[in-house]
Amino acid sequence: MTEELDLTRQDSDEGSEELVLTPAELIERLEQAWMNEKFAPELLESKPEIVECVMEQLDHMEENLKRAKKEDLKVSIHQMEMERIRYVLSSYLRCRLMKIEKFFPHVLEKEKTRPEGEPSSLSPEEFAFAKEFMAHTETYLKNVALKHMPPNLQKVDFLRAVPKPDLDSYVFLRVKERQENILVEPEADEQKDYVIDLEEGSQHLIRYRTIAPLVASGAVHLI
Amino acid sequence: MDAAEVEFLAEKELVTIIPNFSLDKIYLIGGELGPFDPGLPVDVPLWLAVSLKQRQKCRLLPPPWMDVEKLEKMRDHERKEETFTPVPSPYYMELTKLLLTHASDNIPKADTIRTLIKDLWDTRMAKLRVSADSFVRHQEAHAKLESVSLLGRNEASPSLRQEQTWLWGTAAWPQEEQAPPARSGPRARPPGDPALVLATEPSLSG
Repeated sequence: MTEELDLTRQDSDEGSEELVLTPAELIERLEQAWMNEKFAPELLESKPEIVECVMEQLDHMEENLKRAKKEDLKVSIHQMEMERIRYVLSSYLRCRLMKIEKFFPHVLEKEKTRPEGEPSSLSPEEFAFAKEFMAHTETYLKNVALKHMPPNLQKVDFLRAVPKPDLDSYVFLRVKERQENILVEPEADEQKDYVIDLEEGSQHLIRYRTIAPLVASGAVHLI
Repeated sequence: MDAAEVEFLAEKELVTIIPNFSLDKIYLIGGELGPFDPGLPVDVPLWLAVSLKQRQKCRLLPPPWMDVEKLEKMRDHERKEETFTPVPSPYYMELTKLLLTHASDNIPKADTIRTLIKDLWDTRMAKLRVSADSFVRHQEAHAKLESVSLLGRNEASPSLRQEQTWLWGTAAWPQEEQAPPARSGPRARPPGDPALVLATEPSLSG
């Protein structure tokens, strides 16, 4: 484990991964996760390590500021920066919650059928939230409408009733790592599939479905 | 992503200021800034520059590209070319708007600059509309775009994405492309979501 000056964050995420990032890099990552989440049609992988580290940084800075001398300007500059970071963090988490509420049966189903070792799209808290949300929705529908229906119509299949995220929607992306042979499938039947290469640094408009794994791996960023 | 959020991202861009105060180097979470010495230029992110300017603690310097002659050349070049020409900065619209709103006294020929940038924007939006229209008409599944800023993409994207997902039939292109909403008063803060607030709303200082 290395230390870079006094700015390094070291974090072992349940012993599986060690991230050594400077705080600046951490904030970059948070902002990227925020942008990706905003533009992706589905709920992306949960990033608990980023969220926790950012919260720690903010708390740490808060502590420092409390102890610091009452230098108005310096303190207010730090506070402004912290507010900006807090905004990104809460916007990121709100975006995720919105998607969880919108696609709750699919999100829960995906979690249920997730293979071992594959990272989850829900943090433990989000998972609890999703389950509660489902339970409340069920109760609500039952009490408001279903129990007044004829007995054979009293069940609601949420997986069929709630629309799935539209993975075929188009997204803009910027390429971080060069990719070759990405399959592009045009909508119209007369057009054949073709492959393209994604050059590093280039920007594209393409269907989300094709490049979803690249977003997850960080090879492309949504913009 | 709405215009306020795009502006939020644009505020990270570095601009040069001339402070009238002195302060040691500060170690923000996002990096180091300063030291600040009266009269000596220093680069800071736009959000800080605007705040300091509002507190009358500095003068803002226009970025090198914010010059009438250069912008005139850029505008003419953009009008001549069919494709998009490189822009001075990915956030040229937001930078211009913020700098001209808060520091027009520090920027020579501010009104001319405003007009030139608007012309540049209009030309580019027209091109974007044309290319997006053709994208939808030919039912393309992929497009490569250089040099189109986030604001430009945002203006085009809801309709673009909608048209693509309802591809069958001719998609009408929306008639009005509005310029980003003008903001009055002090620096706008990112809007809060009334439904769920996980932290206190960012407050403006200064």
